[in-house]
Amino acid sequence: MRLYEKRRLKKLNEFLNAIDTLTIHFTLAAVLLPLLAFIINFSNPGKNNKVAGWASTIAILISCVLSAFVFAKVWNSHQVHQQQLWFTIGDTKIYAGILLNNLSVLMLLLVSVIALPVHIYSTAYMKNDENFNRYFAYLSFFCFSMLALVVVDSLVLFYAFWELVGFSSYLLIGFWFTRDKAVQANKKAFIMNRIGDIGLLTAIIILFAQYHTFDIIQLFADKGLITQSVIKNGIWMAPSGQLPAIWQYIACGGIFLGVAAKSAQFPLHTWLPDAMEGPTSVSALIHAATMVAAGVFLLGRVYPLFNGAELTVLACIGCFTAFMAATIALTQNDLKRILAYSTISQLGYMVMAMGIGAYASSLFHLVTHAFFKALLFLVAGIVIHQMAHIKADNGLEIDPQNIQHMGGLRKKLPFTFVLALIGGFALIGLPLTSGYLSKDSILIQSFEWSDGKSGILKLIPIIALLTTWLTAFYVTRLIVKVFFGELRVLQIKPGIELHISDGGWQYKLPLVLLAVGCLFALFSFNPLLYEDAWLFKGLSITNGLERENIYHTLIPASVNILSLLVMYAAYIIYVKRKANVFPQSGFLFRLSANGWYFDEIYNRTIVKPILALSNAAFWFDRTIIDGIINLLVKTGLVLSKLSAWIDQYIIDGFLNLLVAIVETIGNFARKFQGGKVQYYLFSMLAIILAIFILLILDARF
Amino acid sequence: MISLNDFLIVGAVLFCIGLYMIVSKHNAIQILIGIELMLNAAILNLVAFGKYDRLNNGGQLFALFAIVLAAATTAVALAIILNVYRQYKTIDPGKIDQLKD
Amino acid sequence: MSLAQILFYVMGFIALASALFVAGTKNLVRCIFMFFITLFALAGLYVLALADFVAITQIVIYVGGILVLILFAFMLSGKETLNAMAQQRSKFISISKLPALLLAGLFLIVLLNVLFKVDADNLLWIKKSIRTNNEILPDAEMTQNIGINLMTKYLLPFEAISILLMIALIGAAHLSRKETRA
Repeated sequence: MRLYEKRRLKKLNEFLNAIDTLTIHFTLAAVLLPLLAFIINFSNPGKNNKVAGWASTIAILISCVLSAFVFAKVWNSHQVHQQQLWFTIGDTKIYAGILLNNLSVLMLLLVSVIALPVHIYSTAYMKNDENFNRYFAYLSFFCFSMLALVVVDSLVLFYAFWELVGFSSYLLIGFWFTRDKAVQANKKAFIMNRIGDIGLLTAIIILFAQYHTFDIIQLFADKGLITQSVIKNGIWMAPSGQLPAIWQYIACGGIFLGVAAKSAQFPLHTWLPDAMEGPTSVSALIHAATMVAAGVFLLGRVYPLFNGAELTVLACIGCFTAFMAATIALTQNDLKRILAYSTISQLGYMVMAMGIGAYASSLFHLVTHAFFKALLFLVAGIVIHQMAHIKADNGLEIDPQNIQHMGGLRKKLPFTFVLALIGGFALIGLPLTSGYLSKDSILIQSFEWSDGKSGILKLIPIIALLTTWLTAFYVTRLIVKVFFGELRVLQIKPGIELHISDGGWQYKLPLVLLAVGCLFALFSFNPLLYEDAWLFKGLSITNGLERENIYHTLIPASVNILSLLVMYAAYIIYVKRKANVFPQSGFLFRLSANGWYFDEIYNRTIVKPILALSNAAFWFDRTIIDGIINLLVKTGLVLSKLSAWIDQYIIDGFLNLLVAIVETIGNFARKFQGGKVQYYLFSMLAIILAIFILLILDARF
Repeated sequence: MISLNDFLIVGAVLFCIGLYMIVSKHNAIQILIGIELMLNAAILNLVAFGKYDRLNNGGQLFALFAIVLAAATTAVALAIILNVYRQYKTIDPGKIDQLKD
Repeated sequence: MSLAQILFYVMGFIALASALFVAGTKNLVRCIFMFFITLFALAGLYVLALADFVAITQIVIYVGGILVLILFAFMLSGKETLNAMAQQRSKFISISKLPALLLAGLFLIVLLNVLFKVDADNLLWIKKSIRTNNEILPDAEMTQNIGINLMTKYLLPFEAISILLMIALIGAAHLSRKETRA
């Protein structure tokens, strides 16, 4: 190369490095701004001033803008990675740094873009709450944790922010901690999250034991350490050492446990419906769009770790979770719980997609799901808010979240109704929505995957299809029951006044922002073909699937036509009341309504024994340990009494005895000087006698 | 024949009985009788040894003198006891222990 | 064992027994009367010691004089004395007599010890007096002996004794007259 070309190359490198540094700085700023908002809000003790809300919102707005910059810079170009030495233990160096690749910047942008409407919505939703400052402090703290989670490059930091995200969720679920149900719900969520954390920690430690590094790039990159290791003859061999293969299974199990806890998969899914005790805006941000997506994000990060069998297990569990949650959502009457079970179901789709190798589809679905689920939750918030107004205005004793009391609200809340329709269609996956693109990509790829499999695995795509139609049914039921028909509250108490309306710009603007993400246009110029979506193209690992086979046209067509039929059926059932084919009692109904009895099973097998154990330990401590201490106390008392007695009777008695002896001798001796003649005579004679005796005994003087 | 020792033993015992009476009796007249007993024991001793001195006969003569002296002693002692009784209204020597009246 | 020895033991026993009774009783009257018996027994012992004149003198002076004197002095001295003497403590063995008993007992032991050490029968001067026929024999006349010795060898003590008797008489008479409070 010629000299000037070398120089130009060097200048280019310097320029690129400078831009990279700028990118890193933007990222850091985007992550740390919500932390700053948290500190401001937390240290502000005043009650309910608007400053808190605006501080958080402005922070997240700036984060959003910065994230957009970073996204534009890094998407589909080279990844940016900077790290510094954090600390050293022995010979091991632990680094801390920022990793920006496609996955990171996608999540970064997603979180901030979803968080921004939620913040705006919250300023109006929580304005009458007296813990306004604390709410925004916690919300900002969560945003900080989540943003940091997606950009860190080392597993140690990942674990730290994973825990912080769980902790923020705990704080926000139990936000109204004076309510007993909220406290129980946040305890349950935290404990289940902890179980997942144990799994994740185990996996991280095993990975470190095998590879001696925590760095994500070194481990999971295309030519990283994990892709270089194989399992042969029961030994897990890696470039840096080897372990028995069982450890690889345990590591994958640990990762799965973490995913199950965070993303509410079977068996650790029961916390998510209870987490609806928190404010609705919190549910929108955390439990629909972002935190629960952290599990799927983890799967995306550590994807090369799984081998074929483990991926199959992943697919099975995801599929089962999706199906189960959909069946439960059919019979729920609480608006937010329906949406919670729907979230579990869609997360099951994402995990299943990861399992069948559709890495890009899974992440695509994660992004689209975030938009439409957040939109649906915010709509639910508005509806619940208005029902609470009706309740408070008229002094009724109804649960504002119960859909059996709602109906016909499309006339009173038209704007909300339209946006709810958009969100609902996206959830079902009708064409022209973004949900259609992501969901159908998963379904098509599931059929392609099951081609090469045998036996029960062929059922997985069938079950996924069934779940889609179930989704269509319960979503239609939801929308119909809430927005169509007549307001059923009027049947309880006719003739009440209804002063409800859509709400101000703070309610409408976030809905509109989120609705944009529910339509296809944001993701692809072709509304029907997912492979054209830029997101899909940016994320797909070359898995060499053929583009053209029968599934690509058959599945979308059949799915959507049948979904439309199901929707119509639901409409007829719930609005026209023409046919009520579903028995309200019976085994299946009860199974569904009680969440497949998982809560009862866990309660009986886990909670009760632990409570019994704790009671036993309490009894042990109280009677035996305290009993021993009481025994010692009593012994001490007895000893002290004994020594007091000894002191009084023996020691003092000895002294008294001496005194008495002296007294007696004195009294005796006194008599000899008493003036009695006979005593004088006696003493005289005694002396004489003594002399005589001594003389007789021949003593020598 | 009666040996000398036997007389002496009897005399010793009488003497000690008299001694006991002097030291321990609470009645002046009984003390006087105790003195008499001691005197009698001494006289018995004199007589017993006097058997072996026929020429001088000191033993028996001094026994006579002792008897006479005992009589005089007793007379004077009784007079004193009478006086003491008049003064102190008691003849218990244990109760007459103050010099001043 | 000749009759004299038996007699001696009897007389000795009576003397000691009555002396013990005298020592032990609290009743003054009984004390005096038992003393009476002791004096008689002693007189008997004097006879057995071949001192017959002494024995008669003992009875005449001691019993007939001194004892009667004590009796009369006791009896004629008024009701108060009688009452005070009659009321005595009723205990026989009391711990307050123990020192006196001990003293007397020890004295007795000392005396007996000396006695047995001396071994009176084997004293040199006694043996010599037996050899030189100085011993009083049972058939000797003592009265004449005493009379002669009294007037020749023991005249001074005789005269002294008589003066003493006179002094005692005067003294006793003076002491016991009734005080006239004037």
